[in-house]
Amino acid sequence: MKINMNIDEKVSKTLEAFDTMDTVKTPPFFKDKTMQILFTEKEEKVAASFWSWFTPQLQLATLVCVVLVNFYAIKEINNSEYESSISTFASDYGISTEQETSIFNF
Amino acid sequence: MSETEFIEELKSKSEKAYSKLLDDFQQKVYATCISFVPNTEDAEDIAQDVFVEVFNAIHKFKGQSKLSTWIYKITTNKCLEFIRKKNTKKRFAFLQSITGNVIPMDMTNYFTEMNHPGVLLENKETSKTLFYAINQLPEAQRTVFTLHKIDGKSYNEISEIIDKSLSSVESLMFRSKKNLQKILENFYKNNI
Repeated sequence: MKINMNIDEKVSKTLEAFDTMDTVKTPPFFKDKTMQILFTEKEEKVAASFWSWFTPQLQLATLVCVVLVNFYAIKEINNSEYESSISTFASDYGISTEQETSIFNF
Repeated sequence: MSETEFIEELKSKSEKAYSKLLDDFQQKVYATCISFVPNTEDAEDIAQDVFVEVFNAIHKFKGQSKLSTWIYKITTNKCLEFIRKKNTKKRFAFLQSITGNVIPMDMTNYFTEMNHPGVLLENKETSKTLFYAINQLPEAQRTVFTLHKIDGKSYNEISEIIDKSLSSVESLMFRSKKNLQKILENFYKNNI
């Protein structure tokens, strides 16, 4: 019984802690710091706007194009018809690379 | 200057308008932040975030509510977001303690590292317990209780800030008081 009364007393004392809480003042230079953040960010945004037209969608589309072009180029290089036409062209003009090393022959 | 004109000035990113906004609201916004997050450094960071959000999102403000209500709404959301993040870290710290990287339990609980300048020294322990108990309440009850009891906002203001009817606010407040009492009773029972 006594323990319960003690607990009730503690609970009500804890809840009363709000009434003794002082009002809190903003830290010094809060306004100056915030103003600096706001208007520095604005300047950064102006500088960043040069690339703003290159949106993530455009970036993705560009990447897809580059991959497709590369894929097509590799396919064409591996194509035997392409190779024979290149070697005919090279022998016709005397620039055959049969004896020379090339990065494509590795 | 009327509120509409002031909002237009804010939308045009006028430095003078933001200076006035800070003069008018820095105290109130900071007071709300420190009510939710009883730590001066974190409350300052959140309050700064609120003004950055106002700066970036003012063009979306359509004037359906008062400017002050909109700012308090942002403040409350930022504080709750911060508490949610802290609680996630707390859970992660618990997992770390299982895996062997033991962190003392007190360090994993944000509200035991309380640094509220408004709390008197002799009430520090009691207030610590109180903030710990408030943190155990469900989010809606915690919001209403903090805004009313610690920040001193009226039920009408709270109903506008959290977009709920006056009767819902009253009911949330009633339930939060009951739950807080239960939490504190259990706390003291276990700490005798």
